[in-house]
Amino acid sequence: MLPNNDELIAQAKTEEAPLLPLLHKLHERDGYLSEHALRAVSKGLRIPIADLFGTITFYHHFAREEGGFEAPRVCTGPICSLRGAHDLVAGLEGATGMPCSGRCDEPIPVIRGGQTLVGMSVDALAVRETPAPPAKQGDYEECVFAHIRDADRKTLDGYRLTGGYAALERAVTSMTPEALIGLIDESGLAGRGGAGFPTGRKWRAVAEADGGPKTVVCNADEGEPGCFKDRALMDHDPHAVLEGMALACFATGAPRAFLYLRYEYPETEHLLSEAIAEAEAAGILGDDVFGTGTEIRIYMRRGAGAYICGEETSLLNSLEGEHPFPRNRPPYPVTHGYEGTPTAVNNVETLSSVPPIIVHGAEWYRNLGLGSHAGTKVISLSGDVARPGNYEVPIGLPLSTLIEEWAGGIPNGRTLKAVTMAGLSGGFLAGDDLDVTLDEPSIRSKGSFLGAGGVMVFDDSRDMIEISHMAMEFFAEESCGKCFPCRIGTQRLTERLAGKSGPEDLEAWLDEVNDLNTTMKETSACGLGQAAPLITESLLKYFPDAVQTHVAGD
Amino acid sequence: MSEPTGRTIVLDGDEVAFERGETLFQVAERHRKEIPTLCYDDRLEAFGGCRLCVVELEGARNPVASCTTKAEPGMRVTTKSGKLEMHRRVLLEMVVSENREVVVDELSGYASQEMKTLVDRYDAQTGRFAGKQSGVSHPDDPNPFILRDYDNCISCYRCVRVCAEQEGDYAISIMNRGFDTQITTEFGGLLKDSSCTFCGQCVQTCPTGALGDMKALRFAEVEKPVEKTRSICPYCGVGCAVDIMTKGDQVVGIQPAMDGPANEGALCVKGQFAFDFVHHPDRLKTPFVRDDHGQLVPASWDEALDKAASGLLEAVNEHGRHSLYAVASGRAPNEAGYTLQKLVRAGLGTSYIDNCSRA
Repeated sequence: MLPNNDELIAQAKTEEAPLLPLLHKLHERDGYLSEHALRAVSKGLRIPIADLFGTITFYHHFAREEGGFEAPRVCTGPICSLRGAHDLVAGLEGATGMPCSGRCDEPIPVIRGGQTLVGMSVDALAVRETPAPPAKQGDYEECVFAHIRDADRKTLDGYRLTGGYAALERAVTSMTPEALIGLIDESGLAGRGGAGFPTGRKWRAVAEADGGPKTVVCNADEGEPGCFKDRALMDHDPHAVLEGMALACFATGAPRAFLYLRYEYPETEHLLSEAIAEAEAAGILGDDVFGTGTEIRIYMRRGAGAYICGEETSLLNSLEGEHPFPRNRPPYPVTHGYEGTPTAVNNVETLSSVPPIIVHGAEWYRNLGLGSHAGTKVISLSGDVARPGNYEVPIGLPLSTLIEEWAGGIPNGRTLKAVTMAGLSGGFLAGDDLDVTLDEPSIRSKGSFLGAGGVMVFDDSRDMIEISHMAMEFFAEESCGKCFPCRIGTQRLTERLAGKSGPEDLEAWLDEVNDLNTTMKETSACGLGQAAPLITESLLKYFPDAVQTHVAGD
Repeated sequence: MSEPTGRTIVLDGDEVAFERGETLFQVAERHRKEIPTLCYDDRLEAFGGCRLCVVELEGARNPVASCTTKAEPGMRVTTKSGKLEMHRRVLLEMVVSENREVVVDELSGYASQEMKTLVDRYDAQTGRFAGKQSGVSHPDDPNPFILRDYDNCISCYRCVRVCAEQEGDYAISIMNRGFDTQITTEFGGLLKDSSCTFCGQCVQTCPTGALGDMKALRFAEVEKPVEKTRSICPYCGVGCAVDIMTKGDQVVGIQPAMDGPANEGALCVKGQFAFDFVHHPDRLKTPFVRDDHGQLVPASWDEALDKAASGLLEAVNEHGRHSLYAVASGRAPNEAGYTLQKLVRAGLGTSYIDNCSRA
């Protein structure tokens, strides 16, 4: 028999961060979130009903109508749209679109209930394991992908075959947290979610902060369109992520960690939950890590469809069951994070990098990069390339090497027109600026940034106005609505790129768009609103003729 | 320009002191910098949504919101520059573009002219950034007090925040996200079916008149200037300060006094909206006494007081001094309350005296 509201609520009240898991259970049990169930949650968890209702509506995937949970959602992200996702939406009964769901190296993904199907047409949808990274290219050593293609890597035994959890064992039995932090500092590891904050410095700030218990959060809300690297890491090397989280816990003194996973990766939730259970059963996680008495508990929490929840303070609000607006900073999460406790929020790739660094040493990791750059970065490459997929590159590798040599270049005899950087957030690079190397100083010098490492490739047949419009539409849909420049600016830029409104005179059009760009960039409260105008800015920079034609209505 | 020492910042070139915990906005306010805001209400936690209050902070990549940035020793802050004024004008033009153009009557609410005042001050051009409009009006919410005309809403969420932070009612919240954001009650229902107490705080903090005082707006057409008279709410014993709005001899509305020592801008449904008794035809203007047939007839004060005194004495003489119990009205001022207890204790000889605000 299915558990009733009271049973589920009673259980939730004993758990950490209970709201999202409880809502997911109700959503799956009933096929939607009914008013009756929400009123029970409001009463049981003492959340004002208006707040709870408002918060539910913030998320893309919580259905408020019967049967909504099972209704198909088709990825209508930029790459899937170019491959005909809208025909799939039209052809599938009851289907709606959803923002990029992180499978850009595959046929179009469709989420139905708790399952992901992929396919290019209604008749060809099939369940398929997410692709592993393509075979290693070039003569450079890998860090997080070094063993990811090994057989049985997903299981605890498979992971331990090549020294998995040896780093954690060594840390908890023979290292001090200070020594561990020092090692990470020396390695030059920095946030691979895109912000690039030095990981050692973040951990030290949490370790030294007053108050507790300390908390570690693994940010697995990989919402950036064109980014699917964390999915590959979690699906093919789940224990590496968990080991990295446990090491972060040891370094910061946190007895608990949350893995905040985006809604669009339903299979990953099961896979990681199993991995956690396996590791706990083996005494690797839990209340007695490797027999040392150290407590490290990892909790899975799943989002419900909101790009902004990848922003760390928004994520923390979501985890706490609050309305997921970003918080004002300072104070930063390192002192005031989850429920006000000192919290280290780290990206999946960052955490996966930690165990190999401990095994091979700081010097080894630092030397993986080219020139003065430390370490590696996973690039999610998609769009008009022969072999899309995740590539772990030494930081500083020329973009052209990745596209032409590693990924087989532009197919169908076409030529390269433009790429996006940081998924969509870095805007476009085109023309001479395509000669960048894959590192922040090089890319930032062109007014863009590497960020989370999503690179979408567009050949010379692509309409850059259409792509810009899709990109801005995404930002408008995902803008949280807290700050004015982003909430209104993303909407106005979308309308102008759609050709629906705005001045007909080119000069007036440019005047409006430039003002929107500047004010959004400089006054928006978080990265979403600051980055969105890079799309229009780079469009104007590289494709002024296309803009002129667009405004003229031709 | 002097170098900062101790707990000071340099504000537009002048070294000024600040208190621990003060925000840049608060320091600047004290120095009359007149930084524009739309989402700010000093009774509420700073939100950082409208971004109009951005200032330049030396060393920061972008301007920072002064309302959420705490002052720290040695900060160098510029509150006014060509760049900041450009951002403020563009932000205002953006926010104006999301709504239809209307004239908002000052009777709508205490803060209802904030938006218009800023648009005028910055000479923001209406008509720029034209496009879809964001608000969805609720003209069908049938209640006599609160107009919900979200066609004017700019999503500053002051209403939602005052309801939660000041009133603790949590009757309204934020639905959807981005440009689709709406102010909602639970499940989008009517205010009367929510936990709303109709205190009107949301109306008074709304900077655009999206929420309006429907009782006051009945008099919008009366072509006389609005005068405000400071007074104390005549209902309970809290003593909330109010500004009584009049047009000629007509009381047209009540606004809470933001500097009222007892209420700091708060009011309840009675103090806010229940003022129709003032001009009501049934309102008593002279004393009444019962005639021989038990009918109430108008009387002079002397007649009425004689009648009351004799009735009270009769009761004391017949049933003893403790047969009487006096309850002072919460609507009576302190002095009247004092006089009543004096009458009861010294005159009638009993200590059976209380106040209805406590009873």
